[in-house]
Amino acid sequence: MRNAEKVLSRKPKRWLINLFFGIALILALFISFQGSTINLIRLASFRYALRAMFNGFREINVEFLLGFGTYRFEEGITYMAFQTLAIAFIGTFIGAILALPISFLASERIVGKKAAKIGITVITIIRVFPEVILALIILKAIGMNPLTCVIAIGIHSIGMLGRMFSESIDNMDYSPIEALDAVGANTWQKIRFGILPQVIPELASTTLYRFDINIRSASVLGVIGTLAGGFGALLLLAGSDPNNQWDTIAALLVVIVIMVLIVDSVSAYLRKKLV
Amino acid sequence: MSKFEISNGKKIVKPFNKIWIVLGVVIVLIIIFWQFITYNTAMFNLGELSVIFKQLFTPKNTILEQRTWSDYFEFMWELREPLWITIQMSLGGTIIGSILAVPVAIFASRNIFKNKYINAPFRFLMNIIRTIPLMLLVIIGVAMVGTGVLSGIIGYTVFSFGIMAKMFYEVIETADMSPFEALESTGANRLQAFSYAIVPQVFISFVSFLFYIFELNIRASAILGFVGINGIGEAISVNNLYNYDRVGATVIVLFVFILILQLINSHIRGKLE
Repeated sequence: MRNAEKVLSRKPKRWLINLFFGIALILALFISFQGSTINLIRLASFRYALRAMFNGFREINVEFLLGFGTYRFEEGITYMAFQTLAIAFIGTFIGAILALPISFLASERIVGKKAAKIGITVITIIRVFPEVILALIILKAIGMNPLTCVIAIGIHSIGMLGRMFSESIDNMDYSPIEALDAVGANTWQKIRFGILPQVIPELASTTLYRFDINIRSASVLGVIGTLAGGFGALLLLAGSDPNNQWDTIAALLVVIVIMVLIVDSVSAYLRKKLV
Repeated sequence: MSKFEISNGKKIVKPFNKIWIVLGVVIVLIIIFWQFITYNTAMFNLGELSVIFKQLFTPKNTILEQRTWSDYFEFMWELREPLWITIQMSLGGTIIGSILAVPVAIFASRNIFKNKYINAPFRFLMNIIRTIPLMLLVIIGVAMVGTGVLSGIIGYTVFSFGIMAKMFYEVIETADMSPFEALESTGANRLQAFSYAIVPQVFISFVSFLFYIFELNIRASAILGFVGINGIGEAISVNNLYNYDRVGATVIVLFVFILILQLINSHIRGKLE
């Protein structure tokens, strides 16, 4: 019995950690709500805001949503959704193409430890800039149009893609390359038959995952200007006066949810097939 | 497709490489999607790129306005107020959203609740919420309670909820189930078994996800200023086009803050493990 008590007393003081963690959480919550006053008039009208929101779903302008009737197809939200898809797709493609050479530069086993630092530094610098800032910089050089968003997303993707590509290249099995060396293959043949067959499924899977992320950022990146493509103009409209734009918000919500759900499930299906 | 004949008379057909089909599909998609990308080559001015980089990271120096480096750093110091608003919004949203996500993640994991019909609605809810962009959520928050920290907290809460639920249920599903079964066999009910067998396994992941989501929220705030939401994004959208030095200063502040967050996160994770 005594022994058991001794063992019990040596048990780590879990509750102390839990208490500390709990107090930290409550303190953080307290800090975050500091200064946010609860407006009683707003609170009283909360009911109406909720009702207005659901009314917004009923009042979705279907002609505007699909782009027919009084609206041309180029003005409808569906066109914007396709444009967003286009921005994300081409942006991801550009990013993947650019990330490939950089990832070879950043992989320790291909270029050596010292040279890999160059590639890693390039990747880190690219990751510093948020997409908006990149878009604002490129906007100066290209002008306010969807191409700006495409290039911003492409360059931003290099950061993550380059790092994950170089990881898959580092984790590759090197015995096929040695075997190719032994039969006298040249560099191109080594890449074609030794490296590419191993890494392509992994690279494609990473790129598809990045496409998932890019479709989300492409749908909001348009806010840098009304002409920047995607849902930008509508988001600006909704943001300028959210109280009276419930139908716009509802339409955006419906379109974005459906679009992202479809892209997610397609890419999940393709990724499952790849691996 | 090429055929080979080896010396013993056997014919070998080289299998068709499916990669060409994939490449073809990708190229066709790019050609179709390119129709949606409009641009005007007359507006191209690539020389501007180097100019703007200089403008971002040096004080503004035009005929009308001349600023010094001390102005540049003073502006960085002024950024503490919008940054504080962003921190408040992200902190509140991260904590409330993550706590709300825990029960949903538990109900969605197939190894705790083995009934498919219990998992399915929770997974559906998770997937739907995850698709809504943060910007739209914050706009809805503003429409409901007006501009301010509270609307931001509402938006960030829903956003954090989506991410945390997804990541946390994946961790629960990959947890080792043998302690859970052992406890159940001694007569513990499911809640007891969960809190003594699964919680110790997933607690550290939960804490590190908290930090990760907080960092993600801070990063995401850079774009929110364009739709009139307070916080660090305001400093970017307000100064965009005219005061590039201020945009650059904001980027530096944001970068340093995220770097500090990452350092704290890795330090705490090292301590907990």
